[in-house]
Amino acid sequence: MSALGGQARGGDGINWKGTAVGIFILLVAILITYALEQSLIPPGLFGSLQGVALVVPLIGIIVGGALIGFGVHFVPVGGAPAAMGQAPGIATGVAMLAAGAGLAGLFGGAWAWETTHDFWITIIGGGIGGGLMMAITCLMVNLTYVFAMGVPSASGKVAKDPITGFTFPEFKSQGTEGHGLPFISYFGGVVGGFLAALGGTLVYLELLLVYQPGLEKLLGIDAGSVAPLAVSLAGIFAIGFFLVNAVLSAYNITGTIEGPHDPKFKRVPRAIIGCAVASAVCGLVAILTVVAL
Amino acid sequence: METIVLGIGITALAGALATVAGAAEDTESDIGSQGDPNSQVQLAPQMGYIHRIFNKAVSGEPPAYGLWCALGAGVAFAFLQILHNPALAIILGSIVAVFVQGVYCVTAYLGRTASLAKFEQPVYIDVVKSLTPVTMAHAFVAIFCTVTMCYLMAEFLHHPFALPLLGLVWGIALGAAGSATGNPFYGKERQYQNQNFGAGVPISASGNIVRYAEAGQRSSLDNGWFTTKFAGPASGICFGLIVFLELWRTVLFEHELGQWGAVIIGFVLIVIFAIIDLWVEKWSRTTYGPYEKAEEASS
Repeated sequence: MSALGGQARGGDGINWKGTAVGIFILLVAILITYALEQSLIPPGLFGSLQGVALVVPLIGIIVGGALIGFGVHFVPVGGAPAAMGQAPGIATGVAMLAAGAGLAGLFGGAWAWETTHDFWITIIGGGIGGGLMMAITCLMVNLTYVFAMGVPSASGKVAKDPITGFTFPEFKSQGTEGHGLPFISYFGGVVGGFLAALGGTLVYLELLLVYQPGLEKLLGIDAGSVAPLAVSLAGIFAIGFFLVNAVLSAYNITGTIEGPHDPKFKRVPRAIIGCAVASAVCGLVAILTVVAL
Repeated sequence: METIVLGIGITALAGALATVAGAAEDTESDIGSQGDPNSQVQLAPQMGYIHRIFNKAVSGEPPAYGLWCALGAGVAFAFLQILHNPALAIILGSIVAVFVQGVYCVTAYLGRTASLAKFEQPVYIDVVKSLTPVTMAHAFVAIFCTVTMCYLMAEFLHHPFALPLLGLVWGIALGAAGSATGNPFYGKERQYQNQNFGAGVPISASGNIVRYAEAGQRSSLDNGWFTTKFAGPASGICFGLIVFLELWRTVLFEHELGQWGAVIIGFVLIVIFAIIDLWVEKWSRTTYGPYEKAEEASS
């Protein structure tokens, strides 16, 4: 039940027919990328990219998109009811908060790649950047609830915090669904920020690994000259991937979610499938952009 | 060594700029009523409560600030190519972005308020005239500080992203941090000042926002005055900490521990913040106590 009294809609199950169509689209996207990689499509049509790996980066993009979708479901978002202390969570929108955390992580990840050129340091560094952003934001949210509003944390979905064991019903003020940010939600926020930023940094890195050699070949200029263009293009597309996957996940959540303990979290497989399919199609377009040059 | 000292200086300066940007962003959004609590400003006339609160929310704060900061950074980037004067370029970029913000404010207020005509909510032209410049002034401070911070990151810390892209990334993060931290204070403590302190607003009270001040009707300027007491500085500290610690851990530790230093320090910081949060939650439970005895509680 939502703060306004309506039933949550959409159900929690997976639509198998829709999933089958989605997986078909995903496989077609991978197949087209494979054909491009192997130069099976006539060079006159798209230009030749022989020697540039495309399939593995596309799979990385799909995994990254699915990670963003997965991570968004952890982020405790209360929307407008949270701003009035009527429901627990952070008082802003799902997609925007996840994008904010993810992009802060992307900033760190892109910087780490520039200095280390190490795949694992880059993506985990990006993830930590997103987690750190959420850790600070969630703490400041709790400080506001506790010290400015005088409201203790109380979940509206569970009676007891699975991590700390704190009980909630007696700390819920009258006429509300709970308020504040219980520790399980704090934990969810940090994990969500980490996963979303990890996925976004992975998308960025895979795109960069396509654009750098791809643009070099197509424009016929050296690596140093093409780097700013490749970085900017990969950065813009990575931000786009964030928004696509965060918004898709927000539709799956329908409104607000408290974190991993919320019953709505059970819908996460559906979001992972949806985000993977959307990322495959968007990834193909992102790759075609450089090929079509 | 000189590089590290310069990096620390830039980090501190960027953190300070981010703090000012966060405070200005939240105050701007509270005066303009752009965050999630604006749902109540929109709802009030539908429940029969006519008010004079500014109402300019069309999108959330993160995409709005993403747009304005990217615009400011983009124009500054273009001017930098011909002017070679960073201060002037950033100021001109921020002015262009603020002009767009002003247009957005006016059209949003007129559009949203006109949509409430059938609930007899008037469009107050004096509200547009008196409050739009105030929000524009705050937005200018927020955009200028954010673009300057992005310029420092690109020029002195050599971040690979171009200035407009940094503007978009940090603009969205600014809006996310400001709305997350500032919204509850504006929503609960200001709009519902007539409700009990130390409790959430009962769902049945939705729409019944405070519409009168000490003398006459409440203006959104009063809301800005009130929220600068906590929400603005808290949002500033939040965004300032995010920017400062993100830069600090990278500038100082990126080459330590086999290049894993920045990652490990980031993880340690997350653990420290989690411990502080847990302490705050425990403190609130023991200090405020339960609303009613556990055996009488209804879940």
